[in-house]
Amino acid sequence: MQRREFAAYADPLDILRRFAPAPLKAMYRIGSSRAVVQTNDFHLLPALPLDVNFRVPGEQSQEWKLIRDPDTPGPLEAARFLICGPLTVVEMGPACRLALDHERREVVGFIGADVDARTYQEFLVPLLCRLTQEPVPASPLPASANLRERSAHD
Amino acid sequence: MDDIVTMKLTFNQQTLPLRADFLIAGTRCCLSTNSHDVIELAAQWQSQTKRVDTSSFEMEVLVDSSRSDCCEQAAHFRGLRHIVFATLPRGSFVAFDLLRKKVHAALSSSASRDLSFWNALLLPVTIGILGTTLGVVPLHCACLDRNGKGLLVAGVSGAGKSTLAAALAQRGFAFLSDDWTYLTRKQSALVAHGLFSPIKLLPDTIRFFPRLREFVPRKSLNGEMAYEMDPQKSLQFAVTDMSRPGHIVFLERTVARGCHLVPCRPEYVRDFFERSAERLPDELADARAMRTNIINFFSACPSWMLRTGESPQRTAEAIEIFLSEAERATA
Repeated sequence: MQRREFAAYADPLDILRRFAPAPLKAMYRIGSSRAVVQTNDFHLLPALPLDVNFRVPGEQSQEWKLIRDPDTPGPLEAARFLICGPLTVVEMGPACRLALDHERREVVGFIGADVDARTYQEFLVPLLCRLTQEPVPASPLPASANLRERSAHD
Repeated sequence: MDDIVTMKLTFNQQTLPLRADFLIAGTRCCLSTNSHDVIELAAQWQSQTKRVDTSSFEMEVLVDSSRSDCCEQAAHFRGLRHIVFATLPRGSFVAFDLLRKKVHAALSSSASRDLSFWNALLLPVTIGILGTTLGVVPLHCACLDRNGKGLLVAGVSGAGKSTLAAALAQRGFAFLSDDWTYLTRKQSALVAHGLFSPIKLLPDTIRFFPRLREFVPRKSLNGEMAYEMDPQKSLQFAVTDMSRPGHIVFLERTVARGCHLVPCRPEYVRDFFERSAERLPDELADARAMRTNIINFFSACPSWMLRTGESPQRTAEAIEIFLSEAERATA
């Protein structure tokens, strides 16, 4: 994958890349709720049904902010879920870190440079849908992604 | 992606039944863990003073024996909004929730038992990231104490803060920190805190400190080779964990010989530390305002630009003479 530089981080200081511009924005229908996805990479827009309807009064929506991180190469590692009260964090090595704040209904995450579009769409998007506790609308987890779950205390 | 193994780590009172409290950089850390080793380590940070007026945060440490202790893994930090992710060496991962003031750490067994991992990495990283939300301002400067007054030594990376801090400590100044100092404000008083982190000296400083030959440089957090030593045990420096900021010097190396101190304006001090602070998002607007407030207050400290072409030892001597004269003048 081509490496991109999207901002300077030294002045003002933004070592954490909090202020990486994320100009792409789209709304999706995920089960019964709406998700607003904001990203800096076209490939990180989920292949899910777009939500073209006006907002339904009282409907809850989620916000996903997903940043492609060109400075972080490497493959996805085994997924570890940290369940911390209102926060669920998924760690798959430096190439992918996601957090869902259930109370604030927002997902934030960084996806490394080498995570290709297919892996993202076939594995991470269903994972994100599952994380937000909504049924996966289109494709279920791919058969190739054989998820085996165990706890730290097994 | 043929066979993704997922693992679930649950952080709650059942999985983390052991508790300890300790003070760090003027804040209270409420630690919970599943490891007796971690509780044993925490005992040495427990302060005799019981401050009740201090801010606090929760630190949940889950020791996960399945994590491999990969020493070569570099530290890696990313953050969005109120969440910060930190992958640390030795197979450790930490998630920070800055709105709820909580730290969730999954550590390998060996990292959890290693005091140097805590002192050099986990605790400084925790206060560096979370501190601003607790009224603790991380300042990129060294700090030494002389007669109860803190001397803060600032400067760009590579200016020689650590080397000068070591030279000052050799002259009897009590060592507090050589890289990051943590500032809090209690009413009208500022307090500078250190975290008992090791002092870090680059290999070329061996010409000023021949004793370094007894030690072996190793790769530090930012990837450069350096001597990282306990200032008290390895170098027999006097150390302290807090001081009242009294003077600030901004270190600048020059080619010309001599050592010159030129007064600085408060605006320079404020701009320097604001510019070297991490940007904070709107979710943390209160923390950002508090940081600005503390830096503004701090900028009123007497400050000087120190331009030196001398050795660290000669520069330290010049500073000591200057401070003695300044104290005599004010007395």
